[in-house]
Amino acid sequence: MHIQVKRTGGFVGATRRAEVDTSGRSDAEAWHSLAREALASGKGSERAGVPDGFHYEVTVDGHTVHFADPHLTDAQRSLVSKVLKEGA
Amino acid sequence: MDANHVFCGIVPPHMLDHLARSGSAAVADAARNALRMDAFHRERRLSAVAGAPPQPTVPGAGTPPDAAQRCAESVLRRTIGDAEHHQRLPGRVVRAEGQDAVSDEPVNRAYDGLGHTHRLYLDAFERDSIDDSGLALNATVHYSRHYDNAFWDGEQMVFGDGDGEVFNDFTISLDVIGHELTHGVTQYTANLDYSGQSGALNESMSDVFGSLVKQYALGQGAAEADWLIGEGLLTDQVQGVALRSMKAPGTAYDDDVLGKDPQPATMDDYVETTDDNGGVHINSGIPNHAFYLAATALGGNAWERAGRIWYDVLTGGKLATDADFASFAGLTAAAARARYGEGEEVQAVLDAWKQVGVPTGSEEGSAVVRQRSGTTAPTPTI
Ligand SMILES: [Zn+2]
Repeated sequence: MHIQVKRTGGFVGATRRAEVDTSGRSDAEAWHSLAREALASGKGSERAGVPDGFHYEVTVDGHTVHFADPHLTDAQRSLVSKVLKEGA
Repeated sequence: MDANHVFCGIVPPHMLDHLARSGSAAVADAARNALRMDAFHRERRLSAVAGAPPQPTVPGAGTPPDAAQRCAESVLRRTIGDAEHHQRLPGRVVRAEGQDAVSDEPVNRAYDGLGHTHRLYLDAFERDSIDDSGLALNATVHYSRHYDNAFWDGEQMVFGDGDGEVFNDFTISLDVIGHELTHGVTQYTANLDYSGQSGALNESMSDVFGSLVKQYALGQGAAEADWLIGEGLLTDQVQGVALRSMKAPGTAYDDDVLGKDPQPATMDDYVETTDDNGGVHINSGIPNHAFYLAATALGGNAWERAGRIWYDVLTGGKLATDADFASFAGLTAAAARARYGEGEEVQAVLDAWKQVGVPTGSEEGSAVVRQRSGTTAPTPTI
């Protein structure tokens, strides 16, 4: 599974990107279930968001969803945090 | 007179308005009295602010608080919540109005920052909280984990702790707190659309008044102020002094991890992008710099004339929700002329917009611009 996160907006206004390829990873199954849970409640098109809130564009194996602060589920928050922290 | 004291400080003006229309003659009378006294004190404070010579003063020091100030302080209602690293808002209440400082510094910084912001709006612009009707001010700290952001969610402010490597705690900069609350003021007034040029104006309003909150709290005139947004927010591992510079947009940071401050100072460098709602945090550098130029040209305290002009436009009812830079610029010239007449204020505003390359429109100041077309605009200070 290929997971990409693009984070835009925020107080700073800087764009950040990171991605994770789970093939061959020992924790691949944990990534897959987190990604599936996050996408299950994701919106297909961009939400308005709030002033200074982050926007997230998450693409999993070619399928893209959009999230906007502060309307993220716990799974969505974990996924974007994890990819931005551990991804390349 | 007793009735005034009863109402003063306990009942916010919008409630007094309501009471003044009360069926009970006694209640309505007392409320109308209180409103009259309130208006009287506000008027007095307004002339005091407008007429006072520029003087750097620490708010609350030097002059004894008058009746209006005591009223205002009692209307100030702050509540700080702790999200405890979850996403829940407003979180567990950890400090309410009037309670002592706690051991958790972000809580105290948020509490104090709300107070400083409330005070600038009240003292300089006679605005009673962000809705001008004494709205309670709420903030939540410790939102999520290692969260590199602060935002306004439409009802309250939210602060992250930062990741500790690039960003410190987002309550560290007073101007950031003023910035977030100003999003609330904008929401209740011009309600500028948060994308493209109107979004960049929305952002710029927050930077302008956020910076003024800090300048007022520190008693700094336009010449002494650092004009930085988010000073202290970057860790010492980052090459940079702040997140934005109104004095020199584009120079706040230049770092391997964070990249370079992307803000333009003039229309020549306007950034076309679809990210960040069309670059609302990027192109805000242009109106930010215009404000800086106008405020420093006028000198003295930036909240007194430049700030007043910008505030008049934000709250004056003529600014469209989808306004672009040029229509905003034209309105600042009109507001300067309406409040101060034909003089150095209008000239400073027109010169500022000219230097950043934003036209002020055919209606506003074209004669002045033509008249001055032979003169060379001063080079923007970098
Ligand atoms: Zn903002």
